[in-house]
Formats: sequence, structure tokens, C-alpha cells
Amino acid sequence: MLLKDKVAIVTGGTRGIGRAIVFDLIQNGAKVLFTYLKSDESAGIMLDEIKELKGKAEAIKADVRLYDEARKAVEEAINKFGKIDILVNNAGIIKDKALMMMEPSEWLDVINTNLTGYFNMAKACIVTMMKQKSGVIVNISSIAGVVGMPRQVNYSSAKAGGIGLTKSLAKEVAPYNIRVNAIAPGFIDTDMTKDLKQKDELMKMIPFSRFGKPEEVAKVVTFLASDKSSYITGQVLKVDGGLAI
Amino acid sequence: MPNIDTNNLEQSLKQIIANILEVEPDKITPQANFVEDLGMDSMMALEILASIEKKYKLRIPEENLTKITNLSKVIELANKFLSK
Repeated sequence: MLLKDKVAIVTGGTRGIGRAIVFDLIQNGAKVLFTYLKSDESAGIMLDEIKELKGKAEAIKADVRLYDEARKAVEEAINKFGKIDILVNNAGIIKDKALMMMEPSEWLDVINTNLTGYFNMAKACIVTMMKQKSGVIVNISSIAGVVGMPRQVNYSSAKAGGIGLTKSLAKEVAPYNIRVNAIAPGFIDTDMTKDLKQKDELMKMIPFSRFGKPEEVAKVVTFLASDKSSYITGQVLKVDGGLAI
Repeated sequence: MPNIDTNNLEQSLKQIIANILEVEPDKITPQANFVEDLGMDSMMALEILASIEKKYKLRIPEENLTKITNLSKVIELANKFLSK
């Protein structure tokens, strides 16, 4: 139980990597509030599954692109569980297109969710963590933000922005015993990657010759959220099967 | 709710602020600006807010951080939440 009695917030918790993160945190003893944008039904099913595991969780519908909704989610976690130890910024979208075809709205949608959403959640949590003189933030970035990916100038920019946010904030709040790190997953088997074309070509680029599983990212989140990583801050940990070596 | 007289409140707040800003209490006049005159940074502002919450067992929402600019504003803020 690496995270016994810890309270965590995970954004975008009902699908893909977020869902795996919620379960890994729960299995390590944390109480989790997760946000979702669309499906009340998936959130409900997940809460039932967590109950069966004897875990404690809450779900809240919140659009992290809006500061007020991010704040509402954080208040809910504090009201229900009394504190916030861990924030996992995970909610993200893709709108892949070549730059010449990309609409300004497609640029903004991705930046607003994948970067501004991270800012909103971090801002909504940070004073609570500073008062506690403890806290951990884990930002899910992407290998796209480290090396750049074609047809993803919006996504790569947002994810690189998340890395800047991570490093800057890590320095800013270290005196308050708050750690801020990022994870840069490579290709992971989720809804987000299921429609990728030329998977065989991509596989050749990965030394492990396979996509990662969401659980393989989630385990690293738990590590960074736990005291096992007590001297690590401002880092970007690649979980990519060697893709970006 | 604790019954706190105005003079006591002012002295206590002055002491809290003096400790955090590491200045002599006498320098904290009602209008002395915490940032420009007394060298406060945003982290110190948060410490002032948190210390007031702790001492008087209050919960002051963080939106009020920007009001921590001088002693008279802090007294006003404390009074507002003490009377709630």
C-alpha cells in the first residue's frame, strides 16, 4: 500500500491511461476523485467496480478547460476527503492534422484541454498543497512533446508546454515540499491510438516492438506519487518502450 | 466564535505578519505596503493567510490572497471572516 490514506485527483479518469491510473492508485490505498467530461454511465460503472475492490472513489463531471470547473472538482475532493495529496493531470484530446489543414479552432481545442486544463487544475490545487506543506503533481505529457510528431503540432505543442509547466512549477513549489513531475508515454494501447494508421511502421520504431499498456504508465504514476520518489522533482520520465532513445 | 477586541486583534496580526516578513512589528503601520515597503513575496502572503486561519480557526478562501497588501486590509479581512 504505497499510497495508504492519500487523496488523489485524476482528470480524465474514465478512459485509457486515466482509467488505469485511477485503478492503480486505488489498489495502492489512495482515495480518488476522478473527473470526466462526457459519460455519466462509464463513470457510474467505474465507481461500482471500485466499490467491489473496496476502494474509495468519487466522480465529478468537470470541464477542465474552465478554471471554475477545475476549482469545483478540487473543492469536491477537499469536502469529501479532507485534503489533496496527489494531482494527476491526465485529461487530453487529439485532433491530428497536417498544419496546412489544421483549423485554428482545432489548435485551440487541443491547447485548451491539454495545456490550459493542466494549468487550471494545478492552480486550483496548489494553495491547498502549499498550506499542507506537502503534495505531488504528476502531469501526463507525451513523447510527442519531447521529440515532436508530424500532424500533431497542436498536441506536441501542448505536451511540450506541459513539460515547461512541470519544470517551472517544480522549482517554484519545492520550498513547500511539493514535487512536480511529468511522464511522457510513447504509443500506448488506448482509444486514442486505436485508429492510428501504419501501426506496423510505428512498431519498427519501438525497440520493444509493441505498444505499451495503460497499466504500464499507471504504475509509474503511482511511483511518482509515492514517497519512493521523494527526491525526484521537475523530471520527465519517458515510458515508451525505448522509442525516444 | 471567539470574542476578540479590536486592539488585541491588531496586535496579534501585527505579530504574525512581523514574524513572517521578518521585520520589526513597529514597521507594520496600517498603510505600509507589504510588497513595496516590507519585501513580501507571494509565498509570504500565503503564510500570512494560513497563519491567520490557524490562529483563529478560520477558513479564508484563497481568492482573498490578493487582499493581503497592508495591515489595515488584513484586519478588515480577518474581521470579515471572524464575524461569519
